[in-house]
Amino acid sequence: MNLRATCIASAALLALVAAGPVAAQTKVDVALIGDADTFDPMVSTKDVVSIVTQHFLETLYTFDKNWQVVPLLAADMPKVSEDGTTYTMPLRQGVTFHDGSSMDSADVVASLNRWKDVASRGKAIAGQISSIEATSPTEITIKLSEPYAPLTTLLAFSNSAAVIYPQEIIAPEIKQPIGTGPYKLQAYQPDQYTQLVRFDGYTQPGAAAGEREQIPDEIRFIPVPDPNTRVEGLLSGQFDYADSLSTEVFDRIEASDVAEPVLLQAFGWPTFQVNHKKGLMTDLNIRRAVQAALPYDDMLFAAFGNEKFFQTDGAYYPEGWPWHTEEGTELYNQNDPEKAAEYLKAAGYDGKPLRILTSRQYEFHYQMAEVARMALEMAGFKVELDVVDWATLAQNRDNPDLWDIYITHSPFLPEPTLTSSLSSTSREGWANPEKEEILKRFTHESDPEARKAIYAELQRKIYDDVGMIKIGNFSAVQGKSRALSGVTPSPWPAFWNASKKQ
Amino acid sequence: MRSYLFRRLIGMIVVIFLVLTIAFVLVRLAPGDPAALMLGPDATPAEVAALRVRLGLDQPIVVQYVTFLANALRGDLGQSLFFNQPVTQVLADRAEPTVFLAIFSLLVALVIATPIGILAAYRRGSVLDQGSITSAMLAAAVPSFLTGLIFQRYLATDLGWFPASGYGGADAGFAERMRHLFLPAITLGITNSALILRFTRASMLEILGEDYVRTARAKGMSERRVVLRHALKNAGIPIITVVGLTFALLVSGAVVTERVFNLPGMGNLVVNAVLRRDYPVIQGTLIVVAALYVLVNLLTDLLYLVVDKRVKY
Repeated sequence: MNLRATCIASAALLALVAAGPVAAQTKVDVALIGDADTFDPMVSTKDVVSIVTQHFLETLYTFDKNWQVVPLLAADMPKVSEDGTTYTMPLRQGVTFHDGSSMDSADVVASLNRWKDVASRGKAIAGQISSIEATSPTEITIKLSEPYAPLTTLLAFSNSAAVIYPQEIIAPEIKQPIGTGPYKLQAYQPDQYTQLVRFDGYTQPGAAAGEREQIPDEIRFIPVPDPNTRVEGLLSGQFDYADSLSTEVFDRIEASDVAEPVLLQAFGWPTFQVNHKKGLMTDLNIRRAVQAALPYDDMLFAAFGNEKFFQTDGAYYPEGWPWHTEEGTELYNQNDPEKAAEYLKAAGYDGKPLRILTSRQYEFHYQMAEVARMALEMAGFKVELDVVDWATLAQNRDNPDLWDIYITHSPFLPEPTLTSSLSSTSREGWANPEKEEILKRFTHESDPEARKAIYAELQRKIYDDVGMIKIGNFSAVQGKSRALSGVTPSPWPAFWNASKKQ
Repeated sequence: MRSYLFRRLIGMIVVIFLVLTIAFVLVRLAPGDPAALMLGPDATPAEVAALRVRLGLDQPIVVQYVTFLANALRGDLGQSLFFNQPVTQVLADRAEPTVFLAIFSLLVALVIATPIGILAAYRRGSVLDQGSITSAMLAAAVPSFLTGLIFQRYLATDLGWFPASGYGGADAGFAERMRHLFLPAITLGITNSALILRFTRASMLEILGEDYVRTARAKGMSERRVVLRHALKNAGIPIITVVGLTFALLVSGAVVTERVFNLPGMGNLVVNAVLRRDYPVIQGTLIVVAALYVLVNLLTDLLYLVVDKRVKY
């Protein structure tokens, strides 16, 4: 090829490369931290799975903006028998699956039976479910062996979710999920995108659940594991929404003309999970020594840097939640090494290392661990920080021989019993008879005010027995295009009402 | 020649077998359980154990190895634990961005490095020569992720000239996909130009001092002809070697650059596979990379025959 031909070919290639993309129909691009590794939310508790699948799979109940349970595929709230053991649930009529078939009680019974068998939250109450029956084509009845007040909350949650599938596809493993949601799964290209398109046969739920307007023609979830790449994509206008951003970029996004930050105040709570099965932390005095020694405010400051992004708050639910109570919080943020030393003496502590298992997958976990280590050493502990990658942590925390404390975090969940570490069968194994008794009363009680009072007892017990250690509240940062509206900030944002200004 | 090729082929098989075995052992020595990762934070140990059985991870390691070897011989690299797809398909899907990125970035590197390297050698000690050495040191010293972040921030986010990340999405045509490769290719091209520039300059310096170059000049040959026809051709072997190795390195996955620009290539795939403990994908990628290295090395050696007639195998 001579020089002239090379120049012409290069110019043509450059022109081709510089040409912009062809304008498409209304599409919302959402950058997430990764791919949903399954489209069956019954078998996963990952937030990314919930965010994606809630658009095409629906549950009998859902939550309104105040986290109250409201009907979604159910026609109304259930009728509960006086003894609290029989739930009769009416179903909406005219609901169509994406394959064109109509939803009826047989689909719901088959789906709930599968949920009870394969979902971690379903399995947790499977022993209390005596039967799930179709009592008419538009009604099901769940019978329990003992009252369980959080049942509808469990059925509403999008994580380990009791989604409704057509009876025909029910199997231990579902590879091609078919749902009733406002969008349907169009394409999935691993590590590139999950493409959802509007489902034309969608019928709107009742007013309580809120209208799902199906405004965008298409929603695309793009896995972008690197947080900086999510920010640059948002600020360059490539993404309309970006999840899980670093608090450090808040001001930069706020200064942008293209995008704005979305601050989820009191999004969640970092915790030091306690090994009640084996090792040092099985001794109450050692647990109390840790609780007394930790400088919660310093840990939060080290982790989040700016008070805009954290609150030093000992209540397990922040103000504004129905479960909020200050019961027991006098034991929070004591920052008292002398008191901790007294507990250590009472325990006869012999200098055996306290093993804290953590990861840098979430940098704030590690930053809190470093501050905790210094404070614990000042109180007389010998501390061994085991910093591993998340995959190793996820494996090692299932082996009680390998850790005394591991660090994790959770969003505030709409029902306290959804916090798995409260259960004695969890990996932490907190089995305290008084706590079990409180928990039993709590799950049996259906009156909301009475439940609040029992929950206050539970929080007191968590502090007194150091069942787990809440470090505080933290806010999460997401980002959205300034042209985008109709998305309610949430740990699991939904995009069916999202519209874009041209 | 035939026996040479036969020997190289045997060598290739041995290398791939060793890589395959080492990869199998290493990924299983690393702590971390794919089943625990797939099920999420609230999965119980019993659920994790059940998934391990379903994925075949409960089998003795020897059984897993023999199954893996037997399948690999049939061209079956297994099923991705995360994607639930055959590894060969997962790899094939990731090949395009990586191969195009390798080609474009190598072109960028050659366009920058070759003329500057030749000129620097020809004008040894000049400002151009000093400047080229300094630039090459700078290009080699600045990590590609930093160059990438700078390009991403200023050329994509602030100026909006190029996409900040990705490979164009579902409906992207060829031109749109190549547009997404522009910044990653420039980033990698600059980084890799340093080595090629230094090799070109060094080779040319050596050749320009040879007797036959002096003879060519004495015979009245033009400088352009002396440099481009005689010197460059003979300086070619070391340059081809470094270009070949650079290409193999690029095709095996520009891990950091693919990560920064969120390109769905083999580099990004292998990082994600390690984080997810997707053993079959890690093994499959390593086998493909090993095969590519060996193949590019072989092609580089064969190219010597074309460049230098004195070379015999």
